[in-house]
Amino acid sequence: MVAVAPILVNGLVISSLYALVAVGFTMIFGVGGTINLAHGAVITVGAFAAYSITSAGFGVWAGALAAMVVPAVFSVLLYKGFAERRRDNVVVVMILTLLASIGVEELVRIVEGTQPRAIPPLVAGTTNLLGTTVQNNLVVVFVLSWVLIGGLFGFINYTNTGKAILATSMSTRGAALVGIESDRVNLYTWAIAGLLAGLAGLFLGSYQTASWAMGRDPLVLSFSIVVLGGLGSIRGSLVAAYVIGFLEVITTSAVDPRLSGLAGLVVLVAVLLVKPEGLFGREFTEA
Amino acid sequence: MSDEPLPGEANGSRESAETADGRNTSLGSSILKPRYLLGFLGVVAFAVLPFAGISTTQLLVLIGAFYFGMFAMSWDTVSGYTGEISFGHALFFAVGGYTSTLLNLGYGVSPGLSIPAGVVLAAVAGVLIGVPALRVRGPYLSLITLVAPLILLQVFVIYGDIFGGELGLSAPTGLVSAPDFELVVLANYYIGFGLFLAIMGLLFVVTRSDVGSVLTAVREDEDAVAAAGLNVAKFKLFAFVLSAAVGGLAGAVFVHTPIGSPRPSQLLALTVSIEVLIAAILGGMGTIVGAGLGGVFFYFFNDVLNQQGWTLPVLGVGVDEASLLIFVLLTMVVVYALPQGVFPWALRSGRRALGRARGQQVATDGGTVDGDPPSGDGSTPLERATDRFRELLEDDE
Repeated sequence: MVAVAPILVNGLVISSLYALVAVGFTMIFGVGGTINLAHGAVITVGAFAAYSITSAGFGVWAGALAAMVVPAVFSVLLYKGFAERRRDNVVVVMILTLLASIGVEELVRIVEGTQPRAIPPLVAGTTNLLGTTVQNNLVVVFVLSWVLIGGLFGFINYTNTGKAILATSMSTRGAALVGIESDRVNLYTWAIAGLLAGLAGLFLGSYQTASWAMGRDPLVLSFSIVVLGGLGSIRGSLVAAYVIGFLEVITTSAVDPRLSGLAGLVVLVAVLLVKPEGLFGREFTEA
Repeated sequence: MSDEPLPGEANGSRESAETADGRNTSLGSSILKPRYLLGFLGVVAFAVLPFAGISTTQLLVLIGAFYFGMFAMSWDTVSGYTGEISFGHALFFAVGGYTSTLLNLGYGVSPGLSIPAGVVLAAVAGVLIGVPALRVRGPYLSLITLVAPLILLQVFVIYGDIFGGELGLSAPTGLVSAPDFELVVLANYYIGFGLFLAIMGLLFVVTRSDVGSVLTAVREDEDAVAAAGLNVAKFKLFAFVLSAAVGGLAGAVFVHTPIGSPRPSQLLALTVSIEVLIAAILGGMGTIVGAGLGGVFFYFFNDVLNQQGWTLPVLGVGVDEASLLIFVLLTMVVVYALPQGVFPWALRSGRRALGRARGQQVATDGGTVDGDPPSGDGSTPLERATDRFRELLEDDE
């Protein structure tokens, strides 16, 4: 008999982290039409920004601030350096961001070594939930993730900047016609995506550990998530993040731990073959 | 377009570029061109290298470099020509290498038979990856190729008792056996070099044929090619299968050399897929020769970096630790400064220097304005095909 409660708890926590990563990834694609393969490296940047701050003696909340600011700035630099200048060529942007991501990983590996690093938990202690003891840290991570995503929804639906982002993702040309500057909208998108991914890095680092290649698995899983949800659809990413997150937790804890990562990949290939536009996706945004 | 000078024609080089297609020029005149002479000298230099006082260790590294060069050319066949960037080409390299090893170790099949089997299986893998490639467009294909080798690696880990997991398998039978190790290395060097030249020749001919032009046109505008009545799917699949078979061949022979071994770190890891991409971009995408040379350079230079003792100034770590980082930065510079890669750039500058030496007026685009037409030869096949289809593409808008 497989214990259901740990699967439920782990599934909820890991899914909420995947959602943070995938929402940013899908926004960048939906708005700018570019695939940011350095999105995984942004996670690493966030985690190590937090790690350096906390190990320098500052509190974990100062680390959390660093995990928001540094990755957002890094993401903006990626946009300014690669995506904006080479925006006419999606493939060149993919190559450049992939190279950037390998560069970041190598830099972290060289400077910090391959040893996993622990980031202190945001909150100490445990709570009893559904008959199992759960670390308060995980509860906080789960709640914070939902607060952030809820905030993002509010931002997109109720502020002018948010509406401009939404408009650009629907039709760049249409948005431009009503006076929305797509450059600035793209910049906001990359900054938001960087912030969310950086925080996911902090949470991953305090939930598991931080290491130089920690961004790879979430990045690959976010491919599965955004393809399943529909490239460019935020709502789709949220739903798919939970589907993939739970599939992952169920296969590794109930079937075989060696299958880690495989469920998401199989889903990805199946979706691409059967329904490439995903659950909520449009085929492509209008140029 | 012939060898007639085009006085006053500002874009003379573009016009005469067509003569660079082997089909339009007689072989006799083109073989005397400086770049072919240089190529010939290069081949001779590699051929006599083992007798130029080079150590056995360095020869071993060069053997590896030849196979990596073949692998880079196979990447270029599909990614440089059709524009469908493969982020997971190591899959084919690994399928070839592992198939040959497993047959050899498990069933005692000799390399002479196990290598062809590896090639066939790699080609089948090419079909498996190529068919989804026909169904999806844009960034989806790159996602599939990025993910496919990760799945294979998972399978290798799960069935570790067969595939050896992360550690890999033990080395299969060597290609040649001789009592003297130096002799074995020497023989392997010439086998690797010969295979490298053969594959370069094969891919060169294919990509310079009409098939190559169609593939380039697919890269530029798939719809235009389809509208011209050509079956885009068929051509893409052909490119995938050819590329997979060549990559599989390189992988299958590589594991039987003294330097190659059937391990994920050499055949399948994500870094292998990235390294081949870096090598081909550095050399020049869509040129075959550039990609091949880029591969040889990458492998060899990577080894040179790994042997260095000095440390990097700011980071305080050894160069050997940071070799991939150095290549990544170098490639970024190349993608920015020389988007076409080093090889086409070198050809163009060489031609410009030659033109200047002959006292010809040099046009701004690097071609010579009058006198002996430059036969276009800094332009890549991609550029030539683009030029040829440009009218069609512009009409399209």
